Amino acid sequence: MQTLTCPVKATNWRQAFINNREKTLTQIYAETYPMVLHYVKQHNGTPEDAQDLLQEAIILFYEKVVLNKLTLTASVSTYLMSICKNKWRQELDKRRRQHQLPNEAAPRWEEPATEPENPTVILLSFVNQLGKKCQDILIAFYYLGEAMPRIAAQHQYRNVHTATVQKFKCLERLRKSLAAFTINDFR
Amino acid sequence: MRPALEEIKTLEAFIAGALPEENRQEIEIRLLWDQDLQQKLGLQQIAYRSLREAGRAQLRQELKSIHARLFPA
Repeated sequence: MQTLTCPVKATNWRQAFINNREKTLTQIYAETYPMVLHYVKQHNGTPEDAQDLLQEAIILFYEKVVLNKLTLTASVSTYLMSICKNKWRQELDKRRRQHQLPNEAAPRWEEPATEPENPTVILLSFVNQLGKKCQDILIAFYYLGEAMPRIAAQHQYRNVHTATVQKFKCLERLRKSLAAFTINDFR
Repeated sequence: MRPALEEIKTLEAFIAGALPEENRQEIEIRLLWDQDLQQKLGLQQIAYRSLREAGRAQLRQELKSIHARLFPA
């Protein structure tokens, strides 16, 4: 049996995410979901709540590791569980407060995400307008943390320079289309 | 790269705090009077924010697929 002599470092998670995101996410998910489900069920939640919680926690973890270069000293499941527990406590508080509100003003909590004036939804629509290739390149580089040589190879560019020029062209297009949004937004 | 793209690259480094001191000061001084550059900088920051949201949406979708595969209903 293999024994871990040192804690798995976040730099390894970063590499793991960048090298094989699908496999790494699956491994983390399979290990952590049963724990989150167990906890949430014991604290007035449903399996759907557990899914949402874990998925948001993994997104947070991904961003911390890939974009902010977090160094993790605990195990990943311990880390994710502590995020989930905190968020679940906040969610329960929120539900309790909403429960105490007078009936007329009770807003359904899932509603804002689909409102057209929600800034997140508007921002997403600008990225979606870009077309598949630009979207893929920009998200891979700026969010998923992939390196340009790999992005160049995936999209069959002759070399890294050509791919980098394309990346900046895509960013320019996004920036131009966002000009309309900000003018309207601040008018 | 054409000058407009070079400028985007420079602003990217400026936002990331990755510009050498001399170039950073140059941008900071231009930003004091150049409204066009101010606007471009603001828009570029919004562009990165929108990519973050789009990235999150993609990752969330990937996690939902992983869940469906690991724990079929």
